[in-house]
Amino acid sequence: MAAAPAQYSRGRSTVAAFRLSVLQFLADPQWLVPSMIAPVIFALVSFELFRVAGPYFLTYAILGAGMMSMWGQTLYGSGWATGQDREFGTLEPTIQAPTPYLYVVLGRVLWNVLSGLIGGLIVYLVILVVAGGPPTVTDPLGFALLFVFIMVTLASVGVVFAAFYVYTRYAGFIQNIGEFAFYIGTGCMFPVVLLPFFTNPISLLFPPTWGLDALRYLSIPGYRGFEWGFWGDLLGAVATTTAYLGFAGMVFYRVERHVLEEGNLSEY
Amino acid sequence: MLSETPAIDIRGLTRVFESRKGFLFREATRTEALRGIDLTVERGAIFGLLGPNGAGKTTLTKILSTLLLPSTGTAMVLGHNVVREADWLRPRMGLVLGGERGLYNRVSGRENLRYFADLYGVPLAERERRIAELISRVDLDWAADRRVEEYSRGMKQKLHIARGILHRPEILFLDEPTIGLDPKSAREIRKLVRSLVADGVTIFLTTHYMFEAEELCPEIAILSKGRIVARDTVAALRQLVGGDRTLEAEAYGFDDREVEALRALPGVSKILSEEFGPALRLTLRVRTGETQPEDVRALLPNHPELSVRERRTSLEDVYLDLVEEEGH
Repeated sequence: MAAAPAQYSRGRSTVAAFRLSVLQFLADPQWLVPSMIAPVIFALVSFELFRVAGPYFLTYAILGAGMMSMWGQTLYGSGWATGQDREFGTLEPTIQAPTPYLYVVLGRVLWNVLSGLIGGLIVYLVILVVAGGPPTVTDPLGFALLFVFIMVTLASVGVVFAAFYVYTRYAGFIQNIGEFAFYIGTGCMFPVVLLPFFTNPISLLFPPTWGLDALRYLSIPGYRGFEWGFWGDLLGAVATTTAYLGFAGMVFYRVERHVLEEGNLSEY
Repeated sequence: MLSETPAIDIRGLTRVFESRKGFLFREATRTEALRGIDLTVERGAIFGLLGPNGAGKTTLTKILSTLLLPSTGTAMVLGHNVVREADWLRPRMGLVLGGERGLYNRVSGRENLRYFADLYGVPLAERERRIAELISRVDLDWAADRRVEEYSRGMKQKLHIARGILHRPEILFLDEPTIGLDPKSAREIRKLVRSLVADGVTIFLTTHYMFEAEELCPEIAILSKGRIVARDTVAALRQLVGGDRTLEAEAYGFDDREVEALRALPGVSKILSEEFGPALRLTLRVRTGETQPEDVRALLPNHPELSVRERRTSLEDVYLDLVEEEGH
């Protein structure tokens, strides 16, 4: 039986993790709630909430509801998938496989990005129906591109969260506590500049804060967000996302080493 | 050169677990799971590691399969260090921890194998053929496309083994592969394990089923309280505990004089006593053929209820003797 060992491929492992995520999603009806039903509810709530926000209220509504639904799918889902690995007992065989676990996480994050975008699309369609027409977006192409990039910023935080799930079985507890603070603090629902000033430096530690502010600058004429404007936001988003992804790679290496020292991979 | 190295070579291996409990007043506990293990396992056979619950079997298996770091000492597998050369080793080793967990229950058995085939880099051109072969080999053809959550425990165990050998490892670690299985499923797993050895795979098997170890493993080590207390062939281990014959005498109590007389019989190396319902059972390990059941009966004429029977010393006897000596 023994032969020259097969060479794993990081790309193939990422695709395999993506594929397994899709299969698990399709096999589990509970996912319909956050991915299909929640965006509809968010869209309706957001539409009512921003009715008085002026001529661009539809854009506010779409951004608010879209980000609410995508937050859960992209960021929360990425970490939670690793928590599931702990629960299923699949974390040990996956870590024991030759592929670095980071590439498995990346596959899952890709799926979560895609499902988050589907959530965003549902929000758009619902608001289109209830408003009786499309919102006014000054730069549709730029909006779409930036929208996808914001998914990447969310995913970069998700990868770091996933590392915490590898590190400890209590990561879910910590993530649940931080969920609403993160969601408000990064400006998912409304601009961060509306929050007390002392919260801003904390918000700026997270890539989605920069990305979302940039998106509002791009799509809402007269928007007053951070004083450095659209390009400053964009630069900040790219820099913090890069930092998070680099940090995630480093954290994964250290976390893997730590759990091998602690021997707690099978705990859940 | 490397092919001449042992499959496993362990020197002075220890593993200490430190944990803390409590929230405000943290209480630290320290557990020595492995206390100085030295062990060499040759290639191409099944090596059995026996031990009671908590002896350190799973800890040792996890260290050897690169899932846990040792506290001190070195462990080499296939001539490579499990700590420093884990990347080299992982594609060459398989691990089956077994049990109900460790599989993606919502997808099919075949999809589980596809996923791990991709993580192990099984060539794409071979993947489907190899999965089909393995599914057939573990007799899961009829259930391969069903969700794993519909599988029985025995079926899950077979799937675990299929996953463990999917990438054709040189060495396979099996941690209690038949625990909790019905006799038929357990027998099928043992048959499968034997067939893997025929393929040239070295197997490191942990179990606490004596008959399983006796049936499968030419060589056995007994682990107790984190130490290897014996390591040899089953036949040699029988001699180690005082003989390959066992005589059991059962009556409503024996006095010290009778026990001493039995101890003086030729070839009797050890006497153990245990209560057995209302009766007392004396177990005599007998090294030679000199002492027969009649000799025992002759020394105990005052016990009309006495029953004496002879049997071969089992691996279970060996195990219990050695583990009890360690006070487990």
